[in-house]
Amino acid sequence: MSAKAGPSDGPVALPLVTQRVAVVGLGRAGVAHAVMLAHVPGCELAAVADPRSSARAALRGMGFKVPAFARVERLLDRVRPDAVVVCAAQHERARVARLVLEAGIPVLVERPMARTLEEAEALVLLASKRRIPLAVSHPLAFEPVFARVHEVVREGVLGPVEHARSAMFVSRIFAPRPRRGPGRLDPRRVAGGVAAHLGSDLLFVLVRMLGVPVEVRAEWNLLYGAVEDELHGMMTLADGAEVGFDCSWSVPGYSRASTVIELDGPDGKLLASDEALELDLKRAGAGFPSGYSRLRDADFDAPARFDFGGEALWSHDAAFLDWVAGGAVPANEAFAALDAHRVMDALYRSAAAGGTRAKVAT
Amino acid sequence: MKRTYAAPRLLLSVRSLDGVTRAPRERLLEIQNRFREPESLAVTLVKAVDAGAAGVLGSPSPALRTALAELERVVPIYAVLPALSPQAYRMLEPGVEPLIARARREAGLAARLRMNLTGFLRFSAFRRGDFAARAPVLLEAGARLLPRRGLAGVVIAAPLTDAALAGDHRAFFESLPRFVRARFHAVAGFETRNPGLLLQRLREWGAAPDFIVGPVNPRGLGMKPRPVETLAELGRGGVPLVATEMRAGGLCSLEEGVHYALEHGAHGVAPDLAEMDEVTVELRGVGARLAGVR
Repeated sequence: MSAKAGPSDGPVALPLVTQRVAVVGLGRAGVAHAVMLAHVPGCELAAVADPRSSARAALRGMGFKVPAFARVERLLDRVRPDAVVVCAAQHERARVARLVLEAGIPVLVERPMARTLEEAEALVLLASKRRIPLAVSHPLAFEPVFARVHEVVREGVLGPVEHARSAMFVSRIFAPRPRRGPGRLDPRRVAGGVAAHLGSDLLFVLVRMLGVPVEVRAEWNLLYGAVEDELHGMMTLADGAEVGFDCSWSVPGYSRASTVIELDGPDGKLLASDEALELDLKRAGAGFPSGYSRLRDADFDAPARFDFGGEALWSHDAAFLDWVAGGAVPANEAFAALDAHRVMDALYRSAAAGGTRAKVAT
Repeated sequence: MKRTYAAPRLLLSVRSLDGVTRAPRERLLEIQNRFREPESLAVTLVKAVDAGAAGVLGSPSPALRTALAELERVVPIYAVLPALSPQAYRMLEPGVEPLIARARREAGLAARLRMNLTGFLRFSAFRRGDFAARAPVLLEAGARLLPRRGLAGVVIAAPLTDAALAGDHRAFFESLPRFVRARFHAVAGFETRNPGLLLQRLREWGAAPDFIVGPVNPRGLGMKPRPVETLAELGRGGVPLVATEMRAGGLCSLEEGVHYALEHGAHGVAPDLAEMDEVTVELRGVGARLAGVR
């Protein structure tokens, strides 16, 4: 039995007025945002900044003819964009985001929004005090399958979730990382390994959907360097429900990042992955009939006007620009992202302490 | 007599072996396991050509190269370059220079010399980072991985095509086909995940590659920017499109997908290994349909 896919949770509204947007940091994420922004109607890529001349040349080499600066301060002086996407290196991210916020300009910052929880909290506080839009890049929340999962859970179709399991895997790291250069992951310059870089996206979806856990415990494996390549966590929600969380970038067979969420409730079960959403419900709800339903990813709306490695990033960036233009607050606004950052911080504290229970900061 | 370059009408796509075809992960793993032995892939390639395919669309991955080395006869290859797995691509910084640096590290002496010569002739050292000037150097490295006799076409891989498309890099789309034809005496194509937009831009610029490769299917999956816009461009009959992902990730049959693509103006089709159970039988069926619309 298959139900028709409904509208996705992530708003795909388009900005009503032209937004001049700058991108700071031209690594893989920054370039992906630049590409997407160039294809959101009503958005103009106004400028870019990166201290590396090779990174600026790479974007220019793709054909982008926009002013390029080595320093963000100069970009803000010269261009004065309507919004800035901050994809600077993790150890620089909070400083750059703060600079932009202090200039009164809305910010979409790559995840994690800062290297430490303290820096992240200070950023969110600043944006809140100044009433400036601040969002954190969490495209998984805009993947049509996972946006639909959020709706299903929030509508209570499964009843209170009793058990949850989740995992995010990709085949990426299978050798010691270089000691210097772009591939290096120095623990003094990054928030962490796979959980910070990859798993935090899943963590955001879980926390937003199920609430902030009260405590966590975690173990990690450092296979190829000084940051974790695998992390296994268990999170306890306020009502006692347990949420499993696994992530690894060192498992073979996952040429693309793969995410799975399994939820059990008294009224049904749900299994969601990048490929499909399966439900087994005791009674109808959220647009699904009772019994078994399965929707494949291709059954969902695909609103992105440009594909550069997936559907979600376009919707994600379009939703942020809509917010900047006065539209609805997107799923990935900074307060929600800060909750996920706090959980990630607790997972790291627990893993560093050998798997002891760690309270989640509030 | 001037050589003409015609777009292929039926190709066997082995892009699923590169991990880039839109198919369930289990299906991709199954296909990759099934063709782990080079002999089994080699036999399939030959059978595909015998069933009417003009050639094979795929990256010169170790699996494809080993299979081709098994064969005594020539199987025409439409090589998708640069040959990079999704995970290898993700590990590199964006732009063309990291790709060139990687290709140079992996190339033999002869390939490196050829890369240097091509770069020198195009003054590419003075235009570092520029896709139009530097991509030929990259193509030299990729093409050297394949037996020269079988190289029927060079198709620029989607990550490069779509990056240049995003930047509206007109010179890239104008100059690359000229380079491919002159250097390799092969047809030149662009693989894309945004077929409607690419067709529109090529029309506006007057750029004329021999063909593009991109998704067309009855569900509109991957037909960016919108299915209706993609179909409108197809209907204008500009640059020929060879359709891929006709089964829309498994939502419809190959027969439906092929019928839809051809009916809406696709010049040819490239069904993937992951979209077929019986390659010979299904390719023959597709070939018969193509003959019907010729």
